[in-house]
Amino acid sequence: MDVEKKHFTCVTCPIGCEIDVELKDGEVVSMEGTKCKKGQEFVSQELDEPMRILTTTIPIKGAKWAMLPVRTDKPIPKRLLFRAVEELTDIERRAPVKMSDVIVRDIAGTGVNIVATRSMNREKKGKFV
Amino acid sequence: MEADVTVIGSGPAGLTAALSAHESGAKEVLLLEREEELGGILKQCIHNGFGLEQFKEDYTGPEYAERLIKEIEKTNVRRLLNTMVIDLTPDRAITAVNPEKGIFQIESKSVVLAMGCRERARGSIGIPGTRPAGIYTAGVAQRFVNIDGYLPGKEIVILGSGDIGMIMARRLTLEGARVKGVYEIMNYPGGLKRNIVQCLNDFDIPLHLSHTVTEIRGKERLEGVVVSRVDKKMQPIGGSEEFIACDTLLLSVGLIPENELSKGAGIELSPITKGPTTTETMETAVAGVFSCGNVSTVFDLVDYVAQTGMTAGRNAARFATGDWKKEKPSVEVIPGENVRVLFPQRYSFQDDLILFIRSAKPIERPLSIDISPLEMHIKKLYARPNEMIRVKVPRDKLKDITESIEVNITER
Repeated sequence: MDVEKKHFTCVTCPIGCEIDVELKDGEVVSMEGTKCKKGQEFVSQELDEPMRILTTTIPIKGAKWAMLPVRTDKPIPKRLLFRAVEELTDIERRAPVKMSDVIVRDIAGTGVNIVATRSMNREKKGKFV
Repeated sequence: MEADVTVIGSGPAGLTAALSAHESGAKEVLLLEREEELGGILKQCIHNGFGLEQFKEDYTGPEYAERLIKEIEKTNVRRLLNTMVIDLTPDRAITAVNPEKGIFQIESKSVVLAMGCRERARGSIGIPGTRPAGIYTAGVAQRFVNIDGYLPGKEIVILGSGDIGMIMARRLTLEGARVKGVYEIMNYPGGLKRNIVQCLNDFDIPLHLSHTVTEIRGKERLEGVVVSRVDKKMQPIGGSEEFIACDTLLLSVGLIPENELSKGAGIELSPITKGPTTTETMETAVAGVFSCGNVSTVFDLVDYVAQTGMTAGRNAARFATGDWKKEKPSVEVIPGENVRVLFPQRYSFQDDLILFIRSAKPIERPLSIDISPLEMHIKKLYARPNEMIRVKVPRDKLKDITESIEVNITER
């Protein structure tokens, strides 16, 4: 099987090493450009399953603002980001909400929860904002 | 109204400064916020990456703000919301306005400026063409999406590769818009590398360096933009024009400190940082007026903003409580070779000197940051204008300086 070449920019720290990897049958045969061990770990995670934190918003009723910011409480596979956003399409909350309240459990089958990233009080009716 | 320390603005700089002033012994600390809640721009920065250094946590903007606000709420720091400062005099008299009090005066022993910065807009970069709807700064689009719940458009072009622009490229993609590309006039990116990877590469959004928008088309609503390649002098190259259909153009073309109050108070501004000239204590040229965060110079990381806020708050408290004496006049801190931005601009022999440096060009090889007349050479593997370098010079090394301090970046 041919040698496959891949390029990564490590985002573990601000240096941002540009890493060139050669793969044969899915196995790493060479890695160049890493300045530390964390870069190697980053590349193997990226090759195995790139993980990302998702941050987005959902509508909230009865609060000062229209949208409530939320996040995954752990990284989820990058390939599931859009599926997670889609699962949130019809989710809506009513104020009050506290920071870290769980909004959705087990998003996109990842076992990871969607949590609120701020508190929002219930606003009294008829108040101009 | 009277106060020991008055902090203007409650973003990360102001919140940290108010807390630090309180912890440093100022009895009456007053925190003034123009909007109806504390937190400033953090409220709309829903992405993570905040507080990695300060709290060793990977917070989102709202989480970072809420943590600081909870700490403020445990203190007797007096918060005035919906309160806009309209004037500051050189003797620290503040005129403010809010719905309860109308126009009122505050006499404060010291003042901390923490008003942050503003986005450069279309007028600052002079793009020719029509004036249709659909052209926003990246931060305005961020507010629409993250707080108000409006999508600004469906087919997006982003001019400028600043961090907010790249973060909005990801955000709009997740919300179902199509981001056709990010165009940057410089031959290197404006924002942090991690944002290029996580916001652009992850979503296959192309970044075109050495390109700019040379024409805007559309009558009522934006119909498209013409982009052109630019030469080394950043002039568009004839014949390289390409039309890109889009309904929205986001501008992420830089931030400038908010200087209206500073100018009114007669505070000297730095032509390099565009904010007040300050010493390592964050004191401006007007005694007892301190400045921190992005109103001083535009920082890359909230951790840096918070660090300057902490310093400003601590020293404002010292000034207010009478624990403030200057033994000798301050000296200038001068940017030398390969240094574009250097902060602070003066050293007053009271504290360690923490320098924030931006290189004039990307240098991707080993280099040394030389601080003269000290024999101090700090080795680095690279320097990039989009990544501020922070260097600490201990106070005891600086005590014999008589003239000025110069910072140079030399390639090794």
